[in-house]
Amino acid sequence: MFSSKCISPGFSRYLTASTTHLAHYLKGAPAVVIPTVETVPSPPESFTNLSMSKLIPKGNLVATTKHIGNTQVRFSHTDVSMPDFSSYRRQSSLDPNIPNSTEINRRAFTYLMVAGMGITGVHIGKNVVVDFLSTMSASADVLALAKIEWRGKPLFVRRRSADEVEDVRNVDTASLRDPEDDQARVVKDDWLVVIGVCTHLGCVPIANAGEFGGYYCPCHGSHYDVSGRIRKGPAPLNLEVPEYTFLDENTMVVG
Amino acid sequence: MNLGRTIYNALFRRTSTFVVTIVVGGFIFERVFDEGMDNVWENMNRGKLWNHIKHRYAEDADEADE
Repeated sequence: MFSSKCISPGFSRYLTASTTHLAHYLKGAPAVVIPTVETVPSPPESFTNLSMSKLIPKGNLVATTKHIGNTQVRFSHTDVSMPDFSSYRRQSSLDPNIPNSTEINRRAFTYLMVAGMGITGVHIGKNVVVDFLSTMSASADVLALAKIEWRGKPLFVRRRSADEVEDVRNVDTASLRDPEDDQARVVKDDWLVVIGVCTHLGCVPIANAGEFGGYYCPCHGSHYDVSGRIRKGPAPLNLEVPEYTFLDENTMVVG
Repeated sequence: MNLGRTIYNALFRRTSTFVVTIVVGGFIFERVFDEGMDNVWENMNRGKLWNHIKHRYAEDADEADE
């Protein structure tokens, strides 16, 4: 039921606005406010002391507010019944009068699921990052090569096959930039020992790479053959051969 | 039934502790998962690994040393 009443002091006896509650299918005409005319005594014509003193406000000042504008008729839907959700509710929360005892456990379970997802996500993310970063690190063969050092420089020791030895020995020495015979660079035919520092600007070449199957410097593209001689690229000299001797079949001493 | 409440109040109630739970749980999960998977793999390859057949040759090596 809705009704409103606008009251203005002095006229409250005459002016009341009210609306009637109506169901929507019984749409009735809104209540009409019938204006009432009241005769107001005309002010005194002559301004005497008495008449003027009547115009002076006496007593406390009162502020009033007025309700201006139309009142509206609202049609509330009393025929719509509250839907019944009890078939969707769990047994423990069916009765609103019983305190809900399982709610905290259900909430804990939900958060546990979220945390489980989070843990899985963290684990996957960590592994993706680690896998990606590990592609940037040096591969195992490069690391193994770099571990052999002689006087602070990487030392390349390489076992050559008979075919490789034959290949490098068949090269015309005069055509090389730094002419050097392969026999002069090795002690034993099948073992090549060179210092792994590019003679161009001192990078460490990559083994088993380049156009000649020997070493390839990734910095400026110098190609060395299986004897460590410069064959292509900016480097001026062959890879340096350190002094080394074989003590016996299985032992080699550099220096 | 009290366990859920304890866990909820201790770990899940605040965002800060929730995140810490996830991160710490990530470490624990990784450890458990890796070890568990290694164990599964070793069980599937039982008898094929060096650790499983080492004892056969370790005795020989001892004898050789003697």
